[in-house]
Amino acid sequence: MIIRFLKKVRALLFHRRQLEQDLEDELLFHLQMKSEAVRGGSAEARRSFGNPTAFEEVLRDMWTFASLESWWKDLRYAVRSLAAAPGFSVVAIAAIGLGIGADTAMFTIIKGAFSWDLGLDHVDRIVSILTADAATHASDLGSSYPDFRDFRNQAKSLEGIAAYQFEPANVSDSKRLPERFWCARISSNGFRVSEQKPVLGRDFVDSDEAPGATPVVVLSHRVWLERYGQDPAILGKVVRVDEIPRVIIAVMPPNRRFPEDTDLWTPLPASEKRDDRRLMMFARVPANGNLATVRAEADTISRSLAAQYPGTNKGLSASIRPIAEITGAYAIRPVFAILFTAVGFVLLIACADVANMLLARGVGRTREMSIRVAIGAGKARILRQLLIESVVLSAAGGVLGGFLAVGGLRWFDAGTAALAAKPSWMHLTLDREAFWYLAGISIFTGILFGLAPALRLAGTSVQAAMKDGGHGTTGGGRVSMRLANGLVVFQMILCIVLLAGAGLMIRSASKLYTTPIGVNPANVLTARVNLPTAKYREPADLIEFQRSAKAKLEALPGVGSEAAASNPPLGRWETFDGELQSDAVARRIDGIVATSNYFPLFEVKPALGRIFTDDEAAVVVNESFAAKYWTNEVPIGKHLRLLKDHAPQEWLTVTGVIPDILQDARNQLSRHALVYLPFAQLPQRQMVILARTRVPPSTLAQAARAEIQKIDQNLPLYEVRPLENRIDEGRLSTKLFGAMCTVFAGIALALAAIGLYAVIAHSVSMRSQEIGLRMAMGGTGADILRLVFTQGMRPLLIGLLIGVPLALLAMRALTSALAGVSPGDPLTFVLVVLVLAVAGALGCAIPAIRATRVDPAVALRTD
Amino acid sequence: MGTAKSRQQTGTLVQGTLDMLILKTLTRGPSHGYAIALSIQSVSEEILRVEEGSLYPALHRLELEGWIDSEWGLSENNRRAKFYKMTALGRKQLRAESENWSRIARAIALVME
Repeated sequence: MIIRFLKKVRALLFHRRQLEQDLEDELLFHLQMKSEAVRGGSAEARRSFGNPTAFEEVLRDMWTFASLESWWKDLRYAVRSLAAAPGFSVVAIAAIGLGIGADTAMFTIIKGAFSWDLGLDHVDRIVSILTADAATHASDLGSSYPDFRDFRNQAKSLEGIAAYQFEPANVSDSKRLPERFWCARISSNGFRVSEQKPVLGRDFVDSDEAPGATPVVVLSHRVWLERYGQDPAILGKVVRVDEIPRVIIAVMPPNRRFPEDTDLWTPLPASEKRDDRRLMMFARVPANGNLATVRAEADTISRSLAAQYPGTNKGLSASIRPIAEITGAYAIRPVFAILFTAVGFVLLIACADVANMLLARGVGRTREMSIRVAIGAGKARILRQLLIESVVLSAAGGVLGGFLAVGGLRWFDAGTAALAAKPSWMHLTLDREAFWYLAGISIFTGILFGLAPALRLAGTSVQAAMKDGGHGTTGGGRVSMRLANGLVVFQMILCIVLLAGAGLMIRSASKLYTTPIGVNPANVLTARVNLPTAKYREPADLIEFQRSAKAKLEALPGVGSEAAASNPPLGRWETFDGELQSDAVARRIDGIVATSNYFPLFEVKPALGRIFTDDEAAVVVNESFAAKYWTNEVPIGKHLRLLKDHAPQEWLTVTGVIPDILQDARNQLSRHALVYLPFAQLPQRQMVILARTRVPPSTLAQAARAEIQKIDQNLPLYEVRPLENRIDEGRLSTKLFGAMCTVFAGIALALAAIGLYAVIAHSVSMRSQEIGLRMAMGGTGADILRLVFTQGMRPLLIGLLIGVPLALLAMRALTSALAGVSPGDPLTFVLVVLVLAVAGALGCAIPAIRATRVDPAVALRTD
Repeated sequence: MGTAKSRQQTGTLVQGTLDMLILKTLTRGPSHGYAIALSIQSVSEEILRVEEGSLYPALHRLELEGWIDSEWGLSENNRRAKFYKMTALGRKQLRAESENWSRIARAIALVME
């Protein structure tokens, strides 16, 4: 085998010319010898010898890589024939390139979103244990410390249960600026359960959790690198975490940031509050274990806890899910899956386009093919030749697509740059896997769009084509036309679905941007602070901090007024236990804690009554709240109170009603019943500081930071940015998603219009004789226009008839991504139909006008 | 074996035996194609006729396999001719093939008796 290969290579490289000569000489010698020997001489010898040329060819093929060479020949022929039709090739390559580029970019994004690495070795064996509440149908609640302890002690089907609480922490030390990091307070077995080991130092031990133990902290590799410059002597040093000095005992390996994008880990403090469900539990399933057993056992434990502690655990059960499902990019995966389908459609439309162009081109090539058949090319050989041609096209499209994909990813990167906490998976590049994907779909699409036209053309019968004069007006042409129209219908259907999706997304985005938030967000600087318990023990300390922050910030030139709130507009709300005096039922009350100047700062005027003053035992409710609880009653003067650890607090009087301010971060247009509580009544540790500015707010960020440092030099001010930025970020996904959908739908529309154009143009050129005849018989330009338009509008109409109901059905998948628009929004669908009709008309217009210019004399003379 | 792209049948020759016959002929020394054909014909008392359509593909195949080697030289009547000669690999191949052949011949003889 190897010898044969080497000999062939040697023959090819060094004796190529020689080989031909040698073969000829060898056979000639034989022939001469034979003619001398046989009776009848050379004639008889030649007769018995057979055809020396064919003979030589057999021998030559033995010495060369014959099949490979014929592939190479086909390839060169394909490139030549494509170069001979540059217009066709450029359009086809552009169409395929757009499709492949969008598809590859999307593939890379999807791959990022779906393979986001939690940094665990056995991620499939780690499950999260959440709490489900039968009363509220919530299934994503956390757990309390006592519940965690009971689960840990009672569960036998798991290899270990750990719990953590994820929260921001202020980190400071004497040398560097204070910073705010994400800290996981984690049970001491956390690293063991998730099977992780520090790269430096020691794991937590149980005694780290004991009361009175030396406070310790574990750093992530990132913090060690970025804040401490990989200081090799970091272990044993002391750092203040939320004002508590902690000894650094370990550094984790790179990219190990479980449970979330964690920066540091500290031991989990114990608590005896069974209704304080802020912990997230996770556990490791044994290698041979199964989830059904685990779930059954967890149910048993939940039931016994509910029986034992009905006051806190009634109706609660455990919800066990693989950890990968509740973290990372899991939530946005459906969105990306939809987008991936959309780009798949774009690629299919592009393929149908090129298939159509190939069909049209093929009709003009029947003569070329029949000549090839006539001189002995087999059907398989012609099929191969044509498929090589289409793969050459798609490969060129793939190269273009590669560049487009890189550009698309840059655009995605720039579009998500505004995210304050950009998840690590969003940093995307076109890697090796994506390259193979690109190469794979390039070849696949070539075969996909090339096969049908190639089969048609390879099936050409010699006689029919020759007789026909190569115009393809016979049966073959008609079948091609039917196929082409079918492809156009298919394109129209896909295009309608895409346009409908894009239309709905655009409508959502415009609803988001045009619906008033209820406040004036311009020129407001926002920043978060998190006042640590160690330093700010009493409510009075919190109030004092807020008072000095107000004084310092308002003294800054350019700042008008300062306010503080637990949540900014579109930044959700807090939930409290409380009751209304009117019905005296304990319930959850959603509200926002704010200083009294929150309202004037945002130019919010009460619809009824007045805003509370800072020292009053009073609240303001929004209109939704008043409508929900006191329909047709006067809300002013009503009372409500909060329950703290079941203990009723002071009654608070409603002094005013304000118009709704949008607060829901996810479902931004939804209105929520909210109470606004005075900060002085309920001082908060985590607050958003707001400052109305007279200059662009971002210019004051540094000055604001410096002022807060003057009050407490260890307190970092974080997420310092204009409110408009913050709001934009919340809308980013809708905006980005909408922009992507629009780009895809735009490409799809253009491709579909080109597809229609190609088919109509081709049919017009095929029917030029008929058109010429009609003109000669007295047909007017209008008649011809009607003829061509009717033909073009038929596939469009069929496409609409199938596509619109299909799109109505498909759009239900979008429901969760839409804001303020129903998936069957009539306006959107009317617009889609209009846009498509216009694009279709444009596609028909050029060939139709060209048809009216047909000169009957010329058309009839042609062939 | 049997990968020859020859379009013609060897007729009276048992499939696959031509290679063996060529190798055997070459044990008597280097020879060109015409002489090999003649030699097989005369040694077999004119029973086996080797046609060119089978001979040359077989020769070239054997050369590609590395069982024989070729060299251009002058023929007995001073013409340029391609001479084939045995290689060590070819000798080994011939041994294997002739063993196989005698086994089969004996087996056929046994059946036919």
